[in-house]
Amino acid sequence: MNPVVETKNLSKYYGNVLGLSDVSVEIHPGVVGLLGPNGAGKSTFLKLITGQLKPSLGQVYVFGQKIWNNPQLFADIGYCPETDAFFEDLSGWQFLTWMLQLHHFSACQAKEKANEILGFLHLAEDKDRLIRSYSRGMRQRLKIAQAIAHDPQLIILDEPLNGLDPLGRRKVIKYIRKMGEEGRTVIVSSHVLPEIEAMTKKIILIHQGKIFASGNIHYIRELIDSHPHIISIKCNQVRDLAAALIKAEEVIKVFFTPDPQEVQIETRQRDVFFDRLQKLILELDLNVEAITSPDDNLQAVFDYLIGEK
Amino acid sequence: MSIRKKGYSHWEGQLKESAFVAWFPLTRLGIKLAFQKRFFKLFFFSAFLPALIFLAGIYVSERMEDFRFMIQGQPSFLQITPNYFKAYFTNSFFLFLLVLMMIFVGSGLIADDLKFKALQLYFARPLRKVDYLLGKMATLGFFLLLLSLIPGWIFVLFKLVFAGNFAFLRSYPWLPLAVVAYSLILTLFFAIYTLTLSALSSNSRHVALMIFGIYLASDIIFGIFYQNFHHPYLALLSLKLNLQQVGAALFGEKLFYPVPWGWSLLLLIMLMGLGLAILNRRIRSVEVVK
Repeated sequence: MNPVVETKNLSKYYGNVLGLSDVSVEIHPGVVGLLGPNGAGKSTFLKLITGQLKPSLGQVYVFGQKIWNNPQLFADIGYCPETDAFFEDLSGWQFLTWMLQLHHFSACQAKEKANEILGFLHLAEDKDRLIRSYSRGMRQRLKIAQAIAHDPQLIILDEPLNGLDPLGRRKVIKYIRKMGEEGRTVIVSSHVLPEIEAMTKKIILIHQGKIFASGNIHYIRELIDSHPHIISIKCNQVRDLAAALIKAEEVIKVFFTPDPQEVQIETRQRDVFFDRLQKLILELDLNVEAITSPDDNLQAVFDYLIGEK
Repeated sequence: MSIRKKGYSHWEGQLKESAFVAWFPLTRLGIKLAFQKRFFKLFFFSAFLPALIFLAGIYVSERMEDFRFMIQGQPSFLQITPNYFKAYFTNSFFLFLLVLMMIFVGSGLIADDLKFKALQLYFARPLRKVDYLLGKMATLGFFLLLLSLIPGWIFVLFKLVFAGNFAFLRSYPWLPLAVVAYSLILTLFFAIYTLTLSALSSNSRHVALMIFGIYLASDIIFGIFYQNFHHPYLALLSLKLNLQQVGAALFGEKLFYPVPWGWSLLLLIMLMGLGLAILNRRIRSVEVVK
C-alpha cells in the first residue's frame, strides 16, 4: 500500500541552524499525532510536507508525487497553520468563501460549503462579523474551517486546539477522529500529550530535528528496553501476591504504594510476567480490582525517549 | 507504522488540473476591498473628470459653429489629432492620478498579505506564485486600464460618432493601436512598480509613502540636476518624463526632451525586470529564518 506522505532522508537547514535532520517516514491513512516539545522541528516538518519550504536534502512525496513546486496537489490538502493568517477586514464568511474559490469552487458551491462548515464549527451566528473582532477561539475555529472546508484527503493541522474552549476542543477532536475513520489522512501536531492521546494512538515523536519514534504508542513503549515496565495490581491480598512475585526471575522490583490494596512491580519481560500473573491469580484465589501500566502512556514514552526520566 | 485495515478506503479521486483563472478570485477580492476603502469611491469617480473634459473637447471640436459665442477662432487644442491623445495620456496630472490610484488600490495588496501572514494560506492552495502575481496585477490593471485604455477608445469612438464619418480613422489608422500600446505600458509599469514596493514592507502606509515619494523624488532630482547642468539626458532620471517620452513617441508627436525615446523605454523595461526579480524573491509562503 502506497503511503500518502513519504519522506526520504529529509533535512532542512536554516543557515547553520538544523531544522530537521535525515527524516525518513511513511504516513498512511488515519490520524497521526506529530509530537515534540517546542522547537523540536514539528512546524518545519509540516511546512516541508506541505511544500512551503524547499528541502535542503532529501525528498517529500505526497500522493506519490513530489510536493515541492507542485501546487496542483493542494487541491486535496488542507493546511491549518499554527499562526493566524487572516484578512482582518473580511468577515469570517467572506474569508471562507474566498478561500474555497481559490480551490476552484464556484461562487454558489463556495457559499454552500462555507455555511455548512461555519455551522458545524459554531461560527454561523458570527459569520458576518469582521475577523478582527473574533476571539482567539473563534479565530482558531475559522482556521480549522479553511483547512477542512474543501473536503481534502490529507489534512495537516499545526496545533489546532490552541485557544479552544473545552467544548470546542472536544468537538474538534471528535471530528478529527471521524475524518481518520473515513480513511483520510490527518496529521496533527501538538506538544500537549493528552490532546494527541485523545485523537490517536499513532504517533511520530520528533525531537531536536530528528524522528525519535513512530508507530503505535504501546508498541513504541515495548521497544524501550532501557526503562522496565511498571505494572500496578490492585487486589485484596497484596502482600501474598508480592511474596509470590518476588521469587519470579522476570520481576526486577516489587514495591508498595500508599494505597494498602496496591502493589507495583517492575519487569523487562511483560508477556512472561502476565502469564505468571494469570496463574497466581488462580492459585492464590485473588480478587483483582485493577491491573494498570502507569508508564504505558504517551507521557511516559515521551519522557523516556527525550531523556527527561 | 501499523497499517489501518478496518474502515480504510483508499483515495482514488482525480487531482484537479490547473484552472485557467486560478488567479481570478484574488483579483475580484482586490477590487472589492478597494471599494470598501474610505473615500475611494469619491476618488474613483473624480478620476474620470479629465477624461470627461477631453470627451467634451471632442464634442465641441465637431460643433464649433454652435460654440462660436464661447470660442474665438479655431484653437489648436481643439483640433483632434494624435496630439490631443498625447495631451490626455502624457499630461502630468493624469499620471499623478494614476499614482494616486496605485496608492489607494495597490499599497496594501502584498503588504497586507505579509502583515497577516496570509501567503502561507495562498500557497497551501492550488495556486502558483505566477497566479498570485497575476491576480494582484489584474487588480491594478483593472483600475489602470479603466483610466487609460477605456477613455482612449471612447475618444476614438466618439470622434467617429460626432464626425459621422471615418475620415479620422483613415487619417490615423494606427491611433487605436497606439492607445492600446501606451495603456499597456502604463499599466505594466505602474502595476509592477506598485507591487514591488508593496512587497518590500508589511506596512501599507509605508508603501503608500514609497509609491508617492519615489515617483515625486525622481522628478525633483531631475529638476535639480537640470537646473544646474541643462543636459537633456538627465530626463532619464525622472519616472514621469520617461513615461511621457514613450507616450509622445507612440502618438507620433514631438518628444518632451531631445533624448531617443528608446532609452526611456529600455529604462522602464529594466525597472520592470528589477521589480519582477524582487517580487520573485519576496513572495514566498514562509519567512526563512537566517
